[in-house]
Amino acid sequence: MPYIYINIILAFVISLIGTLIYRSHLISSLLCLEGMILSLFTLNALLSLNINFALSTIVPLILLVFAACEAAVGLALLIIISNTYGLDYVQNLNLLQC
Amino acid sequence: TLMLTSLIILTLPIITTLLQNNKTNCFLYITKTAVTYAFAISLIPTLLFIQSNQEAYISNWHWMTIHTLKLSMSFKLDFFSLTFMPIALFITWSIMEFSLWYMHSDPHINRFFKYLLLFLITMLILVSANNLLQLFMGWEGVGIMSFLLISWWHGRTDANTAALQAMLYNRIGDMGFIMMMAWFTIHLNSWEFQQIFLTNPKNTTLPLLGLLLASAGKSAQFGLHPWLPSAMEGPTPVSALLHSSTMVMAGVFTLIRFYPLMENNLTIQTSTLCLGAITTLFTAICALTQNDIKKIIALSTSSQLGLMMVTIGINQPHLAFIHMCTHAFFKAMLFLSSGSIIHNLNNEQDIRKMGGLYKTMPITSTAIIIGSLALTGMPFLTGFYSKDPIIETANMSYINTWALLITLIAVSMTASYSTRIIFFALLGQPRYPPLTQVNENNPYLVNPIKRLILGSIFMGFLISMNTIPHTTPQMTMPPHLKFMALAVTLLGFTVATELNNMTHNLMFKQPSRMHTFSTMLGYYPTTTHRILPYLSLTMSQNLATTIMDSIWLEKMIPKNLTTMQKTAASLVSNQKGLMKLYFLSFLLSITLGLLIAL
Repeated sequence: MPYIYINIILAFVISLIGTLIYRSHLISSLLCLEGMILSLFTLNALLSLNINFALSTIVPLILLVFAACEAAVGLALLIIISNTYGLDYVQNLNLLQC
Repeated sequence: TLMLTSLIILTLPIITTLLQNNKTNCFLYITKTAVTYAFAISLIPTLLFIQSNQEAYISNWHWMTIHTLKLSMSFKLDFFSLTFMPIALFITWSIMEFSLWYMHSDPHINRFFKYLLLFLITMLILVSANNLLQLFMGWEGVGIMSFLLISWWHGRTDANTAALQAMLYNRIGDMGFIMMMAWFTIHLNSWEFQQIFLTNPKNTTLPLLGLLLASAGKSAQFGLHPWLPSAMEGPTPVSALLHSSTMVMAGVFTLIRFYPLMENNLTIQTSTLCLGAITTLFTAICALTQNDIKKIIALSTSSQLGLMMVTIGINQPHLAFIHMCTHAFFKAMLFLSSGSIIHNLNNEQDIRKMGGLYKTMPITSTAIIIGSLALTGMPFLTGFYSKDPIIETANMSYINTWALLITLIAVSMTASYSTRIIFFALLGQPRYPPLTQVNENNPYLVNPIKRLILGSIFMGFLISMNTIPHTTPQMTMPPHLKFMALAVTLLGFTVATELNNMTHNLMFKQPSRMHTFSTMLGYYPTTTHRILPYLSLTMSQNLATTIMDSIWLEKMIPKNLTTMQKTAASLVSNQKGLMKLYFLSFLLSITLGLLIAL
């Protein structure tokens, strides 16, 4: 396995761990989510270039589109939480259940 | 010869308007003499027709052909139009001479005469039209001129409101007219009367209903009647010309024109009969307690129009036409004499403030008495030759008894309100301020009234002796039916005289319910004029703001979606929101899986 793939997969794993372990702010989880998507994108692009399969160059683009939607939804959720609680502390999320 | 003369008649007044020298003072006299000559010339074809009974149709200028419909300018000179044209011209001549006295101090008197002349021209177009397009042009023309003339004193809001009312009610009738024209175009492909009557279609209920609606709008039948009493805001010559003898005849005239179609359609005859009967009774009730002399005469016109509708409803269009012609004379005369009273009493229109004019204005009071007697059908005056045959034929024909009874009651009420006018305006002691000068010496005032008096007395006899009867009148009938009209009228006279004499001694504390019903014109204007616009305006407001804006754009999708999702989510899920715990357990399970795999 070429070294560069391992590098990027390592970046992905570090971002994953960052998503799952965070202290108080919800927004840091969203940032690490973006990092995951970025590393996946780079991996896909390098893969389709190295394999010389022209049709698979569309895959990173589609990934980008879905990433954008997902980021928007995440931010909307963040704003709703911020509207109800004032801050995005994770401890707030089990208070005031509707 | 017939053709040329009648075309000359129509063009004579038109030439006067085309000259347009209405800055000079002699425009008035030119107009008046033009109408006089037109009247004289129009007698020639009429007399020729009486002698020979030969009808003529003139069709000269081909205007356009739309697919298969040929439109041309054609005039129909039959019994109806040839008899009506000299009468209309005679009355217009008298009214123009009268308005030389009445509108003497008006700075825009030239414009007034121009409007009167335009009205006359459009009326003549209407009467002599052979196809529906030309009739419609005349119809709209008289509508517009009525609007302009009613709002002559347009600084007064009541006059503007009344003119607008007249226009709107006429419009509602025009819809019926257009529906009739459309039906004839679709089914018979022509607007000419000859073709319509020749083909004689079998299912004519729909266009004749449209025609009935149009006549109801133009001739102020019940349901579309409030514009006629309100139209008294115009000057008295306008009321005399438009709303007594000519314009309100347009509706009845068109109905009479279509009599071959109406002979075959019993439904339309019955509805005309009932509509006419309701109109004549309702307006006669309203006329009983009015206090404005012009309104009483206007409601009396409406009542007589209802009587004409009743006559058409019992399939006697010729009797209706004769009544129309004779009615024009005495109603115009009543209006002119009321105008003379109003001007002489310094613009006082309330009959409670008149009185004792019997001695001071002899010509006018003679005119009123003769006019009222002719109106009620006094034997051997004009009204007798037209009104009595109507009542006799109605009594002897196979019609709705209720309609007949109502018509008879309305005839007695005619006598009552005429007596009321005579009593309050002429008899008794004067109730107007003593410094007003009562002066009848102007020949422009006196001559028209004298001519119309002669017409009121003799025209009935002349017309009925010179026309060939188209239906055989009933010659034998039981004596109590023969005297019915006379008896009913005498009843009205006596009751009214008694009641009016009682007003010297008796006074109500508060008017009774029936009295206010009659004075407020049956509450019809107060209810319909407010409720109908209110309903349509609130409906449109609801449609625009509530339904469109707030429901469809706001509440339907966005808000509904949020509430639905929230209730669903809160019902279904049972999470506690402990995010860090869930994420940590996810990480732990992934690490364990990787470790075991490797």
